[in-house]
Amino acid sequence: MSKSTIDTVAYKPKSVYRTYIAATPDEVWRALIDPEFTKQYFFGLATEVEPRAGGRFRLLWPDGREHITGEVVQWTPPRRLCVSWDIQNMPPFSELPTCLITWDIEADGAATRLTMTESHDWDVPHEIMAGGEEGWPKIISGLKSLLETGKALSFDMSVGPPPEFVAAVEKAAKEKPWMRK
Amino acid sequence: MDLVFKALADESRRLLLDRLRADNGQTLNQLCAGLPGMTRQAVSKHLVILEEANLIAAIKRGREKLHYLNPVPIHEIAERWIGKFERSRLDALSQLKQALERRDE
Repeated sequence: MSKSTIDTVAYKPKSVYRTYIAATPDEVWRALIDPEFTKQYFFGLATEVEPRAGGRFRLLWPDGREHITGEVVQWTPPRRLCVSWDIQNMPPFSELPTCLITWDIEADGAATRLTMTESHDWDVPHEIMAGGEEGWPKIISGLKSLLETGKALSFDMSVGPPPEFVAAVEKAAKEKPWMRK
Repeated sequence: MDLVFKALADESRRLLLDRLRADNGQTLNQLCAGLPGMTRQAVSKHLVILEEANLIAAIKRGREKLHYLNPVPIHEIAERWIGKFERSRLDALSQLKQALERRDE
């Protein structure tokens, strides 16, 4: 049994996103790990997951560049997928420390409950969490729509992150408050 | 979506959402301590309604139950009635409003 090298104890859940999907847990699981699915709802990004704890995890742009790199922390199909999350090639966002993204899948009557938890090991400023709260619901609603209707929602890539989000990340990248632990 | 609108049609429940917006991931005890005007029973009852509407997502962490503001249903409402082109116009209007109001301060 392989194990992840990430010490999860210091990480605390800071944001939680939840939706109910008219699909089976297996279908929801597949939508999380199959690049043909993620490309349709995750801003065109293809996922690449080694199916074991300690395995490699990446999200890639259509041209093959890395957007997110990390490690599989927990691999329990079709219940829980937890990965570590490092943003690449996107300053100032790529300066932020590693966070954990956990997907929990539970059958709920005829539907499936999908919960995403974003955990951090430092005191993340409100503006940074609020920035994530602009983007994640689009991804999660897109995933739901794709599974329920076979069609993904369109996403407008010309709309970048809100300026106050970028400013908060720039400030954090400069001051590195996570070093003061 | 009915559940969302019913849940939002109450000032105390909107106040609870505001408390979570300011400080996400609180226990029932923490929420009660921040709202001395509301009984524990009332807070508890409102949390159930908010959770049923999926406006709050609760997770277990050790022995604690932590409550989070779930932005997904509100996003879905915005998607349904406000298209992306209207949104950028609304953003511009809202920024203008903020700028004008700031000048008044």
